[in-house]
Order: sequence, then C-alpha cells, then structure tokens
Amino acid sequence: MDQVINPLALYGACALGALGVLLALPRRDGKNPQILGALLASLAGGIVLVAMGLKAGGMFGAGLSPSVYFYVFALMALGASLRVITHPRPVYAALYFVLSILATAGLFLILSAEFMAFALVIVYAGAILITYLFVIMLATQAPTEDLENALTEYDTAAREPVIATASGFVLLAVLSTLMFRGVGELPKAPAINGQALLAEMPRKIESALLAAGSLPSGAKVTFDASGDAKVDFAARTVEIKLADGGTQMVALPKDLSVTNTEMVGFNLLRDHPGSIEIAGVILLMAMLGAVVLSRKQVQLDEDAKERHAKLLAAEFTQGAETNP
Amino acid sequence: MIETVTLAQAGFPAAMHQVTLAHYLFISGAMFMLGLIGFLTRRNLIIMFLCTELMFQAAGVALVAFSRFHMNMTGQSFVIFIVTVAAAEAAMALALVVLLFRKRESLDAAEWQEMKG
Repeated sequence: MDQVINPLALYGACALGALGVLLALPRRDGKNPQILGALLASLAGGIVLVAMGLKAGGMFGAGLSPSVYFYVFALMALGASLRVITHPRPVYAALYFVLSILATAGLFLILSAEFMAFALVIVYAGAILITYLFVIMLATQAPTEDLENALTEYDTAAREPVIATASGFVLLAVLSTLMFRGVGELPKAPAINGQALLAEMPRKIESALLAAGSLPSGAKVTFDASGDAKVDFAARTVEIKLADGGTQMVALPKDLSVTNTEMVGFNLLRDHPGSIEIAGVILLMAMLGAVVLSRKQVQLDEDAKERHAKLLAAEFTQGAETNP
Repeated sequence: MIETVTLAQAGFPAAMHQVTLAHYLFISGAMFMLGLIGFLTRRNLIIMFLCTELMFQAAGVALVAFSRFHMNMTGQSFVIFIVTVAAAEAAMALALVVLLFRKRESLDAAEWQEMKG
C-alpha cells in the first residue's frame, strides 16, 4: 500500500470526505450548508488524487503518474456523482448523471477503450437518461400556481444520512486499502501478439493492399484451411495468389493494424457468444415486463382518492370565487 | 529491422503500471461508494434507481482499467453486458415507478413501508 499512497492521507481524506458528503446531503431544517459540504468533499477527493499523483511521480519518476486528463476527468466524474446524490431536484440530478457519464467516457478514452467510450455516451446519455427524464416529468405532481418551485418533502430530507455516509466511507477505506495492497502483487501484462487478429481478417488486408496500390489486378489474398490469411508477422508480409495461379509475398501497408472496435468485436463474438444470447433474452424479458407492468389498470388507494377529491374540491371552490 | 508486434502496439499505447491501475481503481471505488450512499439516503424512487446506475458505471470503470492493465479485451466486452443489464434494469424499474406513482401519487419510498417483512 505504501507504494501507492500514504495511509494517513487516505484515511484522513476519507474522514474529511464523509463529513463533506454528510453536509452536502439535503436536509429537512432548511439550513443547508451544501456548498461547504461539496467543497469539503472535493477537497478530500483532491487530497487523495494529489497524494497518489505525488507518490507515483516522486518514487518512480514522472512517467508513472497518469496524464493530467485523468485528474480532470476523475474530479469531474466524482463531483458530478456527488451532485447526483445531493441535488434536491430530480431533473438536475439526472443531468448531473449525464455529466458523470461524459467524464467516465473520457476516462475510457484515456484507457484506449474508444468503442466503449462512445457506446457509453450513446446508450447511457442518449437512451437510458432520456427514459429517466421522461419518467421524472411524468411522475411528478404538477406545480400549483402559488408554489411553482415547491420541492416535495421526500426530495429535501435524506434518510439516515449519518449511518449511510459513515458506512459508505468505511467501505471505501477498507476497499481501497485492500486494492492498493493487492495491485502491487499483480503480474505484469503478458506480451501477446495482438496483430494475430489481422490474419483472421483477409478481406481487410485485401482492401488495405488495394488502397495502397500493392495488389496486382486479379490477385487475391490466399486463405489457409481455417479461412485465415497467411501472414508472416516477423517480416510483415502476406501471401497473395496472382491471376495466373502463382503465389507471391507482398509487404503489408505500414499503418495497417487491428483497431479497438475490431478487438472488442472478435472478443465478444468469438469468446462469449453464449453471453450475447443471454443478453438478448434479458433485454426481451425486460421489454415484455415493462409493457405488462405499465399496461395494467390501476385502482387508486383510499388515501389517494381522498387527496384527489380534496384537490378537486379546492379547485372548484376557487373557480367559484373568481368567476361567480 | 524486424519489429516484434505486441498488443501494446496494436491497440494500446504501452503497458500500464500497477500504480496507475490503482488510480483508476480508487476512482471506481469512490464512485461506487457515492452511488451506495445515494441509494441509502435518498427517498425518491427515481433517484434511488439513478444511484444504482452510478454503481454500474463504477464497476465499468474498474473493468476497463483491468482490461487495459492485462491487455485483454474481455473486460471491455463485459462492460457491454453491464450496459445491457443497466438498460433492462432501467426499463423495469421505471415501469414499476410509473405504476407505483399512479397508485399512491407520490414517489416516496416510505409510502411502501408496509411491504417490508
């Protein structure tokens, strides 16, 4: 753990962050030191990141600490997450959730997971969050004329804030202690031949050769029995079949390489085909379930009926007063 | 000159050190913890489900960081399944929320206290 962060800094920051989140949570009594709490919490997050960055930069040379964009995106993600759980208005909480997704997509880009970054923005920020916003707007009481900005009681009062915050930060302290202790013992990444995937994409090689102009007319990339191209990775050449039946080795274009999307696609479809089927079944069942649930005719409760009747009566008498 | 082509050159810039991995794991843990606190403290049903999405998100960060560290694509593939489960969960949860709201005309989780065993 000592190679990652000073334990004192971690536990101190955890305590400070717990205090900050506790202050930032919405409370009933109206005295809401939310800004102070958010400042304290972000200070705690900053302390941990700076302590880790200094340690990584100081002990092994600057090359080890992650790029400055990591710190920008990390602080954005944590700050937006804090606002999601502390903002009393659900619509704003959903919008802050979009911000935290964008910051996470930035982190994915730094980790060179380009496909996942954009899929996350499209699926989460584009689809799931729009559904959330729809439901938030459908399932909120319409504001009355005199109380346009009224907040409901269950949005402004947190439930058991002290216990929840304490247990959350104890969990974080224990979790990060174990993680920081464990990462030192992880094995180094093996040197895999990632370009081996290239052999499985003979059509891609062919079109790259065509684009580079190194494929004679009528020539084709040759396949072996399993449909792979015959690529010599050490010499970066590929075997092609000429129009007259002879074979020849041609140099691969210099910039031809396997992209992130191709690697994810191969991994998904070749190594986890069963999981994709199960994911499809999950989505289908969720769709059916949602349709069945929301189609059902609902009987109002006795309480709700009474409330409804009172509201209608109040409106009626009001209308009678204004235009007799 | 013969180059040895590794995955590091194929899709990843260079190998990642354990200390760098620890940075990402801390971010993931902190986001998960914030989602957990939100789920426990907020009383609005919609916000509670938003907080579960936050926790899914944190798990995704850890998976992608490990995928980068081990130079292995399985982590990234599993983020796709996380997104699938999150989408299915959002659909079911929001259908339930609409149903509950029509019944009690309130999003307060405490309205449904009689359901606890």
